[in-house]
Amino acid sequence: QCATKRKQKKTCAWEQPLLQAVLIADSFNRRFFPISKDQPRALLPLGNVAMIDYTLEFLTSTGVQETFVFCCWMSNKIKEHLLKSKWCRPTSPNTVHIITSDLYRSLGDVLRDVDAKALVRSDFVLVYGDVVSNIDISQALQEHRHRRKIEKNISVMTMIFKESSPGHKSRCEEDDIIVAMDSKSQRVLHYQKTQGLKRLHFPMNIFHSGSDEFEIRYDLLDCHISICSPQVAELFTDNFDYQTRNDFVRGILVNEEILGNQIHMHVTKDGYGARVSNLLMYDAVSSDLVRRWVYPLTPEANFTDQKGQSCTHSRHNVYRGSGVSLGHGSQMEENLLIGCDTSIGANCHISNSVIGYNCTIGDNVILDRAYIWNNVHIASNVVISQSVVCDKAEVKEGVKLNKQCVLAYNVVIGPNISLPEGTVVSMHHPEEEEEDDDEFLSDDGEVGQSQDKTKQKAFNPAEVGAEGRGYIWKASSLDDTEEEELSQCLWGLVLNPDPDSDSEASEPDGSSFSSDPCAAVFSCAVFQIEVLGTLQRGLEENIGCDNLVLEINSLKYAYNINMKEVLQILTRVVLDFPFQQQGPQLTTPQYAALLLPLLKKWAGVFKNYVKRAQDHMDCLSAFEEYFLEQESHWGAMFKILMTMYQLEIVEEEIILRWFSQGATTDKGRQLRNNQGVRMRRQGGGEGNTEGKGSYLKSFI
Amino acid sequence: MEFQAVLMAAGGGSRMTDLTYNTPKAMLPVGNKPLMWYPLNLLERVGFEEVIVITTKEVQKMMSADPKIKQDVKMKLEVVCIQEDGDMGTADALRHIQPKIKTDILVVSCDLITDAALHEVVDLFRAHNATLAMLMSKAHEFTETVPGQKGKKKTAEQRDFVGVDESGKRLLFMANEADLEEGLSIRKSILRKHPRVHIKTGLVDAHLYCLKKSVVDFLTDNKSISSIRGELVPYLVRKQFSKTINGQKTKDDVEDQNQKKSDSKLHISSRDEPLLQLAQERSCWNDHRGDMSEAYHGGKLRCYVHIMDQGLCYRVNTLAAYIEANRLAPKLFEEPVVHPSAVTSERCQIGSDSIIGASCQVAEKTSIKRSTIGNSTTVKEKVKVTNSIIMHGVTIEEGCNIQGSVICSNAIIGRGADLKYCLVGNGQRIESIAVFQLKECVSVFVLN
Repeated sequence: QCATKRKQKKTCAWEQPLLQAVLIADSFNRRFFPISKDQPRALLPLGNVAMIDYTLEFLTSTGVQETFVFCCWMSNKIKEHLLKSKWCRPTSPNTVHIITSDLYRSLGDVLRDVDAKALVRSDFVLVYGDVVSNIDISQALQEHRHRRKIEKNISVMTMIFKESSPGHKSRCEEDDIIVAMDSKSQRVLHYQKTQGLKRLHFPMNIFHSGSDEFEIRYDLLDCHISICSPQVAELFTDNFDYQTRNDFVRGILVNEEILGNQIHMHVTKDGYGARVSNLLMYDAVSSDLVRRWVYPLTPEANFTDQKGQSCTHSRHNVYRGSGVSLGHGSQMEENLLIGCDTSIGANCHISNSVIGYNCTIGDNVILDRAYIWNNVHIASNVVISQSVVCDKAEVKEGVKLNKQCVLAYNVVIGPNISLPEGTVVSMHHPEEEEEDDDEFLSDDGEVGQSQDKTKQKAFNPAEVGAEGRGYIWKASSLDDTEEEELSQCLWGLVLNPDPDSDSEASEPDGSSFSSDPCAAVFSCAVFQIEVLGTLQRGLEENIGCDNLVLEINSLKYAYNINMKEVLQILTRVVLDFPFQQQGPQLTTPQYAALLLPLLKKWAGVFKNYVKRAQDHMDCLSAFEEYFLEQESHWGAMFKILMTMYQLEIVEEEIILRWFSQGATTDKGRQLRNNQGVRMRRQGGGEGNTEGKGSYLKSFI
Repeated sequence: MEFQAVLMAAGGGSRMTDLTYNTPKAMLPVGNKPLMWYPLNLLERVGFEEVIVITTKEVQKMMSADPKIKQDVKMKLEVVCIQEDGDMGTADALRHIQPKIKTDILVVSCDLITDAALHEVVDLFRAHNATLAMLMSKAHEFTETVPGQKGKKKTAEQRDFVGVDESGKRLLFMANEADLEEGLSIRKSILRKHPRVHIKTGLVDAHLYCLKKSVVDFLTDNKSISSIRGELVPYLVRKQFSKTINGQKTKDDVEDQNQKKSDSKLHISSRDEPLLQLAQERSCWNDHRGDMSEAYHGGKLRCYVHIMDQGLCYRVNTLAAYIEANRLAPKLFEEPVVHPSAVTSERCQIGSDSIIGASCQVAEKTSIKRSTIGNSTTVKEKVKVTNSIIMHGVTIEEGCNIQGSVICSNAIIGRGADLKYCLVGNGQRIESIAVFQLKECVSVFVLN
């Protein structure tokens, strides 16, 4: 069926440019350590086939004709594997180029290299070497090309997602994402990893795209397959800080308005696509594969076209390779894949497991969700549940592996020991790992060397059994970096939805506001001090009004003070200035004598802020407020007000309005009366307000 | 009796004060019927026999005088008057009539004109044993020029964000853009239950609500809630996802316990609750797929919304909506263009998209197109009326030309007046040969 599909693609392909793919056969992380210390992740067997073969088969069946495989860690092994595989035969419809470099440290480096070497000519598919998928992306590709045709160079990427509800096995917590999209155009508006978040926040600007229907989707699984335009490689070059695809997507979405680039998405309902990013995903994808969710990529299809790897499929999804022998009374229950030439003893119970080639399994063995790779020896009376046993490992009699144990290459365990949950045993000593910490990506010769070193260190029989060989991995470094350890552990985080303890009642609405007024008061106080300092310096250095205004304005922004407060604080500071300079013992005439020239000097500053009628009012109310506190200096009040009027800081009309306005406190009334009395007295008998006005005029 | 219908007809029409200056909103003529006739008719069509009408004294008086309501409405109207300027919100009004409420209620606003199938909303309410079910519709663009408003109205209004689930029925959140300045924030636990949230903007709330009786009881305990749309509905929507702490004895003060009591009151919806619970447990039906949890994820409080895809749904609360409603009203009901008691001359043109009210007099050589002429209106010779709304008792003298205008009751338009896009207030008199070539759409609305 694959072949016919391919043929169809080929016939229609000549009108389209050659479809290219960039396959990154390196994870750039150490999630599979210590397993991936001996074998690169892309070559780890999944259903007895190396993971990279699934990725290449997916690319080929979807119509890719040229694939660039980028390897870094253990590139020799990958190269060797690929050269032997069907992909490098001359008949392969998909030409595979292997590009190796030890300098790649991230996906970003690879794509920058793609740009530098000008490898891609048109839209290309970007995948990791550990993606297992059967999605037909031709429709997504068509949509992508259509979008690019209509709006040139706007959409740079189409991400492929698979629908899967929260709680689905193939969703791993650490790769959980939330996507906000435009329902009509399928445009991605927001993309975020949700790990560790209780509340998800969507900025408002994503809803301003002119559409009236949006979707927030938490039911998507990121397949880590993306259709990219050549621009993507260029953008990686332009932004040298982009390391991962996540950086790229976030960068594009945030800078959407500036650069005008957009990212779209394609959601598939019935395809299968998942990235094996940790052992939990390995478990999930393996069992999906055995349960035939990835059809037509099934174990019996032998799509890698290797001799001696064929197996038969019988009911309850039991696959048996050739030469499998089964002892008396053994039961192969369901969802089981057994590789060629494996022999199983008597009275075994095996379910939901994958067993590789040339394994020997003793009697009375119970395997459930066990992933046994090639050439493994398992003695009698062994129980293994949800664990991985790598090549050439040996499990001696009476051993029990509890959940989520890993036995790395060549490890020997037992006899008669029970490994606690989550134990990882490796031939590599954990300390050795720290030694070559910096050079872990450099070359694989290092590993061989250190292996010799570790041989001198003794195995702990309490950990691995009397005849055991191997070290407990990472047990020592657990305590110092616990947080990091959690995210770095081999098995991913288990999906157990945290109970939503955050009830409505536990989120008091007021809490976020309660701190705000304090902060505002505080910043006002600091602002006042700063203004005082500025004016003092202005006086000393004889700085002009314009420059003072500039300084005050910049302070205003620094402390986030509004115009009204600026005016009030300024008035207060100026009125208080003589006291600040000379001390509080000043007499009223002294005070007035000091203040009046200052007012003249700074009239320009005031005029800059006092413009509207409301400003005049604010200025006067600050004036009033200040003198309410300085009762002893009421004598100077009239003179100051008069000066302010003469300097045209405040208008006559407003003074009168302020005066006629009822005071809120007794003291205020008293203050006004005092003022009024003085005005009347100087006004020469004209007692009414109009008289005062005319008086003020005649005064000038 | 499953539902009691409540008609809210006390609104003052604060968004169209030009029109409601003399006539209360509920009694504004739309297609020569008072506005409140439309929701009453809607209720009558679906078989209600009794309606509680919450209104003001003034409206009650006008209702008893209005022939349409007297003759056409066969339901028993139980009028409850509330104070006019008492600042009573819709929720306050519900609280006021709480003793009369014996069952679940259907609340309708008096300014709703719709041909929606009401059973869609009620079925949602029934099927999901919901606490609240409401009706929404796609917002309409008003294309007609509105008298007295210069240029196009700014569309920069604050949008309402409505979040519904995958089926488009379950109401997950409601928020106004103004409240979302800092962005939209959703709890992950909600998304886990409803992984696909559709956010819709550009919807208009029809102000038609099905509410559980327990909600009305809840209102009597919570006096702070005064409006249904503004406070009660958002509260219920939010309450859907808040966890109720049951069985745990915590050191709560009395107030908190009171709150809890009223909350639990919200949950008890009917006395059949244990039976419904049992039925739900025994049933293999589930409202969602994807995870294995029970139907509704164990939530007791559920809000649903029916969003109309097509059909007519107007809330007559602005001048633009009022004009649009008048234009469409003739299409809603098949009635003769000219009322039998109207006297029309044979030599006048009356378009089929117009309505001529009772005891009108239309003289020769007049032309009336796409307009509504109210009762007892006199239209003299050589008058041209297009795209206009003429209310009751208006006199239009010879040779007038009226276009795109609204002329309120008892106005007199003098001979030869030319009005374009004008709004003429109640009882106004436009002088003879006054030419209001008001292309700039100035309102000739003069008070007193």
